Amino acid sequence: MADYEPVLLKNISLEGSTDLKVYESAGGYAAARKALKMTPDEVTEIVKEANLRGRGGAGFPAGVKWGFLPKDREVTYLCVNADESEPPTFSNRVLMEKDPHQLIEGTIIAAFATQAQKAFIYMRVEFHEPFHVMQNAIDQAYAAGYLGKNIFGSGFELDVFIHRGAGAYVCGEETGLIESLEGKRGCPRIKPPFPAVEGLFHKPTVVNNVETLCNVPHIIERGAAWFKSIGAEGSEGPKLFCASGPVNRPGCFEGPMTITCRELIEGDGYGRGMRSGKEVKAVLPGGISMGVLTADELNMVMDFDDPRNFGLLGLGTAAAVIIDQQQDIRKVLANITRFYSHESCGQCTQCREGTSWMDKIATRIADGVGRTEDLDLIVDVTKNMGMMPGLSICGLSDGAAFPIRTIVQKFRGEFEAYIAEQPPTSTLRVLSTFN
Amino acid sequence: MPKITIDEQEIEFAAGIPVLQAALDAGLDIPHYCYHPGLTVVASCRLCLMEMKMPHPKSGELGWAPKLFPSCQTPARDGMVVRFNSETVVTGRERCMEYFLLNHPLDCPVCDQAGECSLQDYSYKFGKPESRMVDPKLVMPKKDIGPQTLLYSDRCVMCTRCVRFTKEVSGTSELCITNRGTNSEIDVFPGKPLDNPIQGNVVDLCPVGALLDKDFLFKQRVWFLQSAPSICPGCSAGCAIRVDANDDIVYRLKPRFNPGVNDWWMCDEGRFGWKYALSDERITTPRLRRGSSTKTPKWEDVSEILQYRFSQHVDEHGSGGMVVVLSPMMSCEEAWLLLSFMLKVGPNVTAVIGPILSVGEDQAFPAGSTGDETKFIIRSEKAPNRRGLEMIIDQAGCETLSFDEFVESVGDGEVSAAWIVGGYPEKTWVPKALEKAVGKLELLVAQDLFETKLTAAAAVTLPACAFTERAGCFVNHAGLIQPFESAVAPPNGCHRDGQYLYELAGYQGLYTPDRVRELMAATMSQFADVREAAPAPVHLH
Repeated sequence: MADYEPVLLKNISLEGSTDLKVYESAGGYAAARKALKMTPDEVTEIVKEANLRGRGGAGFPAGVKWGFLPKDREVTYLCVNADESEPPTFSNRVLMEKDPHQLIEGTIIAAFATQAQKAFIYMRVEFHEPFHVMQNAIDQAYAAGYLGKNIFGSGFELDVFIHRGAGAYVCGEETGLIESLEGKRGCPRIKPPFPAVEGLFHKPTVVNNVETLCNVPHIIERGAAWFKSIGAEGSEGPKLFCASGPVNRPGCFEGPMTITCRELIEGDGYGRGMRSGKEVKAVLPGGISMGVLTADELNMVMDFDDPRNFGLLGLGTAAAVIIDQQQDIRKVLANITRFYSHESCGQCTQCREGTSWMDKIATRIADGVGRTEDLDLIVDVTKNMGMMPGLSICGLSDGAAFPIRTIVQKFRGEFEAYIAEQPPTSTLRVLSTFN
Repeated sequence: MPKITIDEQEIEFAAGIPVLQAALDAGLDIPHYCYHPGLTVVASCRLCLMEMKMPHPKSGELGWAPKLFPSCQTPARDGMVVRFNSETVVTGRERCMEYFLLNHPLDCPVCDQAGECSLQDYSYKFGKPESRMVDPKLVMPKKDIGPQTLLYSDRCVMCTRCVRFTKEVSGTSELCITNRGTNSEIDVFPGKPLDNPIQGNVVDLCPVGALLDKDFLFKQRVWFLQSAPSICPGCSAGCAIRVDANDDIVYRLKPRFNPGVNDWWMCDEGRFGWKYALSDERITTPRLRRGSSTKTPKWEDVSEILQYRFSQHVDEHGSGGMVVVLSPMMSCEEAWLLLSFMLKVGPNVTAVIGPILSVGEDQAFPAGSTGDETKFIIRSEKAPNRRGLEMIIDQAGCETLSFDEFVESVGDGEVSAAWIVGGYPEKTWVPKALEKAVGKLELLVAQDLFETKLTAAAAVTLPACAFTERAGCFVNHAGLIQPFESAVAPPNGCHRDGQYLYELAGYQGLYTPDRVRELMAATMSQFADVREAAPAPVHLH
C-alpha cells in the first residue's frame, strides 16, 4: 500500500516531534480549537457517525460509548487506557513516545464531548520513556493554556494526570484499570453497573484506548466521511499494526484495515518478508489473545470481522507475532499459558484455576512428558473458560482460551508427533512421581 | 408477591433480592461460595451461574440467551424465567467443582470442617468423582493469623467472604488477598493479626476448612455433634446461637440466623465465654447447713425442706423482711416459678434484681457506624434477662429494691430471710458489703454455680445450672422474648433449676418451658406465643 497516506504516524519522523511547536506547525490543536467551538453532542455525533471503533481490542464504537453516559450526571471522568500490556503490542507506545500532543489533543476533544474535567492517563509502569515524554508534553500544554482552565477561551476546563500502573496485564481491562486507579488491587469489576454509569470513584466514566483517542482529532478536522473512506465498512479509519518476530522489518506500521495478514508480513510498507529465507509456521495476528493462524490462513483480512472466520476471537490489538518453521510449537504454547497463568487476577474460579492448570499441562508437554489425552484435556479446559459468555467477570479467560485452543487444534499433528517420539516409559515414570 | 420461574417451577419471592436468594428461599440447593446475604456481592466463584430467557435483540422473541449469568448478582424480577438444570449450566458447574479441587489437598480425614463442608457436599452433588489433573498440586502454606484462628490456605477456595467480613462488618480490615491468580492467598498484614471482638465469624463464614477455630481444632468430628438452639447469655443483645455438644459435653457455640438481632453473627466473648460451664468447681448437689455441720439432702426432699424452712421463718418473723434476689441470668420461667413460690409463702416478699455487670458502652460494628450502617452490636449490659425479670416483677406487683439498696438493708439488719440467686460466670460477683453482712440473715438460701461466701453461709445451698443445661426464654434489651433449649444434661447429681423450682412452686411432673409459659400467659399474654426466629434457608451456608 504505497499510496497510503499516514494519519496517526504522520508526525513521528519530524524533528522534535514531541514538541508542542513542531506539533502545532504541522497543524496540531486545530481540531481541538474547532471542537471546543461546537457543542459536546455535536462532537459525539461526528465520532458516532465516523463509526470509530475502539482500538484497544474489543472494537466497541467510541461515540456510542460516550452516548451511554447518563444525561443528568454532575461529574464525569475520562480514563485513557495506556496500559498497553498485550504481549507483542507496542503501537500506543509509539504514539505516546513520538507524538504525545496528538494524544493530548484527542483527550481534550473526548473530554469535551463527555464533559469530563479530569482525565487520567493510566500508563503501564514499564513505559518509562513514554511517561517522561507525555509528562513533558502535558506540562507544555498547561504552559500554553491548552490544559487547565478556560481552554482556547471556551470556558472548558480539563486537568490531565498520568497514573502509572504496577505491572498487571489485567489492569488494561477497563474496570480493572478503574480499580487500580482507585488504589485497589487490579481486579475487574462485575457489570452492571457499567463504567459509563458508575465507574471511577462511583462516577460516570469513559475509558478509551490511546489509539482510539489519537484518531479523534483527525475525525474532527477532516470529517466523518473522510474517516469512513479509509478501510472497509465496519472497519473504517486508519489503524496501527505491529509485526514482531523474524521479519525483515519488525515494527509498528499504519494502514487501512483492508490489508491481509500476509501483507502485514510481506508488504513493502510493513514487514517486508521473512528474514533469511525463514518460512512462516504460525501467526498470532491480534496480540496473543485472539488465537493463531497457520501458514495457510495468511489471507485473513486484518479487520474487525474477518478473524472470526478463522476461529479467532477478533482483531484484538492487530499486533502480529510471526513464528517461523524452526520454532517448537510446544514452547510457543507453554510460553502463552505461562503468561495467562501469571496474569490472571484470581477472582473467578475458571480463570484462576484453569489458566494455571493449562500452564501445568503445556509446560509438561514442552518438557517432553506429554500425553495424547492432554491435548483433548487442554481443549476441554479452554471450553470452560471461553466458550460461553458470562463464565467469568472479564474477558481475560476468553483471551486465554482462544490462543491455547487454536494452537492445540490447528497444530495438533505436530504435538502428536512430538509425543510419539517420547519414550513412553519415561513419561509414565515422570508422571508417577507427581502425586 | 412477584413470581419467578426457576427450573420450570414458579416461585414467589420478596422484592429486591437476587435470583440466587429467591432460589435458596424456595428450598432449592444452588451451589454458591462467594455469595452471602450479609456481605456484598462479588460474583467471583462462578458456581451459581444460570441461564436466563431474554428477548432476542432483533426479533424480540423470548428465548434462552446464549450467555451465563451469575444468579447472585442478577436481581430477581417479576416474570423472569431462569434455569439451573440445563446441560450448559450443569456441566459448567461440574467443571467448576473440578477446579476447586485441583490444588486442594483432600485431607478431609484430618479436617475439622469435614461433615459440614460445602466443598464436600457440592463435590458429591455437583462434581465428578475423579480429577483429570495428573500434574503436581500447588502447595499453599498453613498460617497462624490470629490468637483464635488458623488459616490453612491449601484448603481455601478464594471466596473472599472472610476478607469482606473484616472490611464490611467488623470494619477492621485485617484480612486481605495477597499474590495473584492461582497463587492468591488470604493473609494478614505483617504484625496485624486477625484480632477483633467478632473475628470468630470468619470461621463460620468459611465454606470450607480453610479458616479454623483454634478452640475447636481437632476436638470433635462434627457429625458426632448434636445442636440445640439457644440464646447467648453473654449480654443483653440476645444473639441466637446453636450449642453443639456430644455426649453431654459442649464443644462449641455457633451463631444462628436471627434477622434484626444478630443476623448471622456473634461475638467472640459469647463464642468462647461459656467455658465456666465445664468447670469441675461447680456446685452439683443441694446442701443443708445447721451451725457448722452440713448435710446433703435427697433431691426429692429439697422441696419440702425449703417449704418448711420458709413457713417456719414466716411464722416466727412474718414475711416483711423476706427478699428474693432474682438473677438476670435466670430464664423468665425460672424467675416466675421462684417468685410464685416466694409470694405463696410470704405475700409481702420484696423482689430484687441481682447485680448487672456493665462494661463500657455498647460496641457497634463497624466501629463508629450508626443506624443502618451498623451490622452488629455488643451490648454493655452483660446479662441476658433484665427485661424479663422486670416484666415478671411488675406483673407480680410486689415491693422492689435495687440490688445496692438490698445490700444496704441486709447490713442494716432489715432483711431477715433471703433467697439469693447467682448463676454468674464469675465467682466474684458477690459484693464485699454483702459478704460481710450476710451473717445477719436469719435464713439464707443461695442458688449458684460456684461456691461463694453466700453459699458458705447459706442454710440451704442449691446448685444452679449453666445456660447450656437449661431451657426457657430470655427477654433481650429490646423486649424481644426468645426461647432457648437445653443442649446437655446438668453435671452428675445436679437437677435443673427449672425442675426443682417447678416442684417448689407446687407443680408436678416434668418441667418444660412451654408448660410454664402457658401458666405465665394467664397474666402475661406476651408469653403465650414465644417462638424461634425463622430459620435461614436450608441450603444457604
